[in-house]
Amino acid sequence: MSEPLIEVRDLAVHFRARGGAARALDGVSLEWRRGEILGVVGESGCGKSTLARAMLSLVPPAGGEIALDGAALNGKATLRELRRRVQMIFQDPYQTLNPRQRVSAIVTEPLLVQGVPRAEHEGHVRRALEDVGLEPDRYLDRYPHQLSGGQRQRVAIAAALVLEPAGLICDEPVSMLDASVRAQILKVLVDLKERRDLALLFITHDLSLAWSLCDRICVMYLGRVVERGAAVDVIERPRHPYTQALVDAIPVPTAGGGGRRELLSGELPDPTRIPPGCRFHPRCPRRFEPCDSVDPQLLATGGPDQVAACLLHDPSLGRTAPSAERRE
Amino acid sequence: MTALLEVEDLRVDHRGRPIVDGVDLSLAPGEALGLAGESGCGKTTTALALMKLLPPTLRQAGAITLRPAGEDEPINIGKRTEAGMRLVRWRHISLVFQGAMNSLDPVQRIDDQIAEAIALHERGARARKLGARVGELLETVGLTPAAGRRYPHQLSGGQRQRVMIALALACNPSLVIADEPTTALDVVMQAQVLDLLERLRERLGLALILISHDLGVLAETCDRIAVMYAGRIVELGPVSAVFAAPQHPYTKRLLESLPVIGGRRGVATPIPGGPPDPGDPPEGCRFRPRCPYATDRCLADPPLREVAPGQSAACHYAPWAEWPDVAAAPAAVRP
Repeated sequence: MSEPLIEVRDLAVHFRARGGAARALDGVSLEWRRGEILGVVGESGCGKSTLARAMLSLVPPAGGEIALDGAALNGKATLRELRRRVQMIFQDPYQTLNPRQRVSAIVTEPLLVQGVPRAEHEGHVRRALEDVGLEPDRYLDRYPHQLSGGQRQRVAIAAALVLEPAGLICDEPVSMLDASVRAQILKVLVDLKERRDLALLFITHDLSLAWSLCDRICVMYLGRVVERGAAVDVIERPRHPYTQALVDAIPVPTAGGGGRRELLSGELPDPTRIPPGCRFHPRCPRRFEPCDSVDPQLLATGGPDQVAACLLHDPSLGRTAPSAERRE
Repeated sequence: MTALLEVEDLRVDHRGRPIVDGVDLSLAPGEALGLAGESGCGKTTTALALMKLLPPTLRQAGAITLRPAGEDEPINIGKRTEAGMRLVRWRHISLVFQGAMNSLDPVQRIDDQIAEAIALHERGARARKLGARVGELLETVGLTPAAGRRYPHQLSGGQRQRVMIALALACNPSLVIADEPTTALDVVMQAQVLDLLERLRERLGLALILISHDLGVLAETCDRIAVMYAGRIVELGPVSAVFAAPQHPYTKRLLESLPVIGGRRGVATPIPGGPPDPGDPPEGCRFRPRCPYATDRCLADPPLREVAPGQSAACHYAPWAEWPDVAAAPAAVRP
């Protein structure tokens, strides 16, 4: 198992809101290992984008620790180092690129910010563009409006790559792109992972995509990780009722579709009023007696390296808990 | 059975540049048809043309005939004037468009907005007397009357989308066109809204045209599917047939590009390039420059023709008994 690039322990982020503090992140722990593709999935409002921003210290934490390459973050110097080692790309390539800058300036900017000697700029910029499949001589002088959506996302990736980071956080990088362009961008990202041994943190609400790309997956619900494990295990054999509900809701592009499914009722609760006990219990189809009072920690589920924050897996409740296996 | 909707040779152009280039469709009462394709392929333009809602810079031509139950004469939408269309829209065909949930009036309560919409479309109806009907509509889409007393910002995206569906149903239309109704929603909300559409269709006998770039959504909701590419339908057939055995290389590649849980992991080989501008299409088959199977024969324009029972494809080589290995396919026009 490779070393962690970033380790997050008990990370909390609170926003001020009407009705008290909104606990956007409420104690998240995870490790993102070098060279791995880690998926973070969940509904909008579950905290996945806040997690990404908090990992880069773009939002101030209310508590918890972040470590880069095994060393805890403290002070400006390590923050600068963090932001060189880990880069981020966003969902909407139409909004992230400055419309008045040419591609060359967009991709050069991170080098200026990090104080890379000017003489080295051109080489870095050209290499980054080549890595994302854009011929430098054709694209360096273009403006964003002269590019298609897919090309813009490539430019955004090139700008993130130019500092040769060890990790790239991708916040819904393809959700605004069409099917054929989507596959092209995913291919760029996966090739980069292979060629540069880049670690990818893939934030998405698309579980099928996470399943097909990621090595491991964290499922988030209301500011917490509720299940974590190998992508194949988590999606094909979910151990948390919430993950199960998400998987059941995926529309299946095959003849006959997915058939009737058990739908999760209700909506994500307000993060200023997180339910007591298990935060998922008001919507959970499998809740039992202690769920409204006991807040479950991540528990071993029997699957290798697969943990779930669900009392169904608490051995001390063994006699009262319904079987952890799903009823068919 | 008589078709509810028949579209013949629908064309839409912008100053002579075609956007929709000859679309034929027919829809049975109560049927759900999916319209698939990437952005710019003409899906939304087709939908707007069916309601004659295109902006004035676009011109449409072609016959559109609607035969709603209870009407003696078929409605010839193609020839209707704007005033004539006002009697058709919402009364016979309604539209739930993309991002529609953001088009609710922010300073008016939900139930008042629904009542006002009904009063506008039904002569003699008084907004104040519509309370019971509005309550019923809200219930139909799974909302409580209490939700009706709220303002749009007090509802979630999924709830607002339900309100839009309630609005679309307000005058008991026989056809609802839904353009990406769940694109802005999460998978759980999406599943709830799709489930709702399906139940309403069964209960009210609605016909549905569902537009989505998400083939999974169409597979679960529709009876038939039409795949559009560069302003034309390239494949049309029952959902089960098209998904099990696509007969157009574009459909096949699109389906392959989607991960199916339990299938093969990893990134599928992308389709090279991007879709052409329908106003300036390549010679012959429009998919030719991106098609791994293209040959010289594809320099001639393939018509959409029936290649299997109920299934049509616009490909010279359809029906495909088997798909040759891409590497072995002729590379005549590969980019």
